[in-house]
Amino acid sequence: MIASLSHTKTQRQNLILAGFGLALLVVLLASLSLGAYRISLPQTLAILFDLIGLNVGDFQVQQANVLLQIRVPRILMAMLVGGGLGIAGAALQGMFRNPLVEPGLIGVSSGAALFAVIFIVLVPVSASLAWIKPIGLPLFAFVGGLICVLAVYRLSKSQGRNDAATLILAGVAINALAGALIGLVLFFADDSALRNFTFWSLGDLAGANWSKMPVTIVLIAIPSLLLLLNTRQLNAIALGEQEAFHMGVNVQRVKIQLLLFSALIVGAGVSMVGMIGFVGLVVPHLIRILFGSDHRLVLPGSFLLGAILLNFADLISRIIVIPAEMPIGVITALIGAPFFIWLIFNLNKSTN
Amino acid sequence: MLQASKVHFCIKQRPIVEQISLEVNPGEILAILGPNGAGKSTFFKILSGDISCKHGSVKYNGKTITSLKAKDLASVRAVMPQHSQVNFPFTVQEVVELGLISTQTKNSSQLINEVLNATNTDHLKDRIFNSLSGGEKQRVQLARALVQIWESKPFPRYLLLDEPSSSLDIAQQHAVLSILQKLKSRNIGILVILHELNLAAQYADKIALIKNGAITKIGTVEEVLDEKTLERAFDHPIQLLKNPNTGRLFVASAAPFYSSLATSKLA
Repeated sequence: MIASLSHTKTQRQNLILAGFGLALLVVLLASLSLGAYRISLPQTLAILFDLIGLNVGDFQVQQANVLLQIRVPRILMAMLVGGGLGIAGAALQGMFRNPLVEPGLIGVSSGAALFAVIFIVLVPVSASLAWIKPIGLPLFAFVGGLICVLAVYRLSKSQGRNDAATLILAGVAINALAGALIGLVLFFADDSALRNFTFWSLGDLAGANWSKMPVTIVLIAIPSLLLLLNTRQLNAIALGEQEAFHMGVNVQRVKIQLLLFSALIVGAGVSMVGMIGFVGLVVPHLIRILFGSDHRLVLPGSFLLGAILLNFADLISRIIVIPAEMPIGVITALIGAPFFIWLIFNLNKSTN
Repeated sequence: MLQASKVHFCIKQRPIVEQISLEVNPGEILAILGPNGAGKSTFFKILSGDISCKHGSVKYNGKTITSLKAKDLASVRAVMPQHSQVNFPFTVQEVVELGLISTQTKNSSQLINEVLNATNTDHLKDRIFNSLSGGEKQRVQLARALVQIWESKPFPRYLLLDEPSSSLDIAQQHAVLSILQKLKSRNIGILVILHELNLAAQYADKIALIKNGAITKIGTVEEVLDEKTLERAFDHPIQLLKNPNTGRLFVASAAPFYSSLATSKLA
């Protein structure tokens, strides 16, 4: 719309996004090829090209099975969950007008976890109900996440102003409450439910398989795309909700959409791979520090960088202690935190 | 025409805005004056559409405000807030561009350049908004509000400003208000809440004096700027002088060391 004026800017943005896309591709290929079971890069490519009927090299059937049945779904899952956490974090930060907001910090993740636990404990997984689990768990997590994000939003707005201290305190309170309620639910759980819960809470990306893909795509990829429709409105909200309304934005509708889609993404992510902190906070931050605040770039950039980061972390978790696996949350924090500190430190130095 | 008729607003049975009626014509500056807590800001929010009044109506070019969608309302009126904060590091250009968010126009780059020019902010366009001084921020916010209604349309547009000159130094105050004066020729009507009586005396075409939620007097500058009326409205002794250079009225106020009935209550 703003054609000639920001022509160079749009070009630059597209270039940045293309760069991220390329980096993601490199990480994906590395993730496909590396691991406890070695598949060389040419063989990896040969297997992938074989899918579309092109023969570019030889491989063994077992290699193809490992690649297509284990690694590809796992990598897709890491991409969707990491990207989803990144974009949801960016959207929530924009909506709350606060760069401190993170799905884990303001209680969305723990709310989602609480409802996931309630689902695991209350819905017995008998054979006849097995079909309900792949869709029921993420939907329950979504409801929990949504309740918490609404509660935090209400609390943080109650003094009329949207201030950071109240927001963080509300998040701490919600997190504590959700943690206590998880404990309470587990106290009443029977053995089989407890075992299910243990598997779920350990649930890292290793549990990814093709049967989880449709639900993940519907609950993460689609809301992520829908979030992208609100980027201009998010820019307006950054000036203030009232100002956004004055400029003709239907603020209420935009906010409801942002909350719904973010809660869907985080809820689905938590129910699939457990709570992975840090991505939703750091990724949008990095994008803003590097490329500015325009949400038209921050949101898609956060998705791509989140996908890169989580895949990279997953790759490390798989190859660092072969044949065992390091929990992925440990890796994201271990890579992310020092990098983030370094970045803040350098930024302060350059601005002084 | 922007028309408010018998606008009434209560909070807990207490009227904040009481039966206010006024009109703003395109090409005219209406200044709203009044002591703190008079209900100016509440009335302003009703006009801008942030809150809706319980009784009475607000009409833009004949259409009631409640029947207009946010987007349609944005095409007839722009609002400049008292002060606003931007929590993310946006550049000036990005902030001003946002004013066009609900406009479909092909000349956006031209509009933005014209507005940056008019507000004397073109040299700031690559700066980060939060790094600007108070006066610069106000001018950028003005540019952002202006770009929304800058393009010529077959219908008049309106600009609402809530104390645009508060916290600005003298030069900046006059800079902002002379920009407003230039808008009159663009078929734009302006309603502005002012704190500084002298700015109203110099720039306004009409003044509405509000106290306790109601209009005490509305009319031309000469009609409203009257010592008795102002003293009663502000509970403070006021002297009106004539500026020997411009011939315009000049409001002088001093510490209330001589007793008047109204101020002796405060002692």
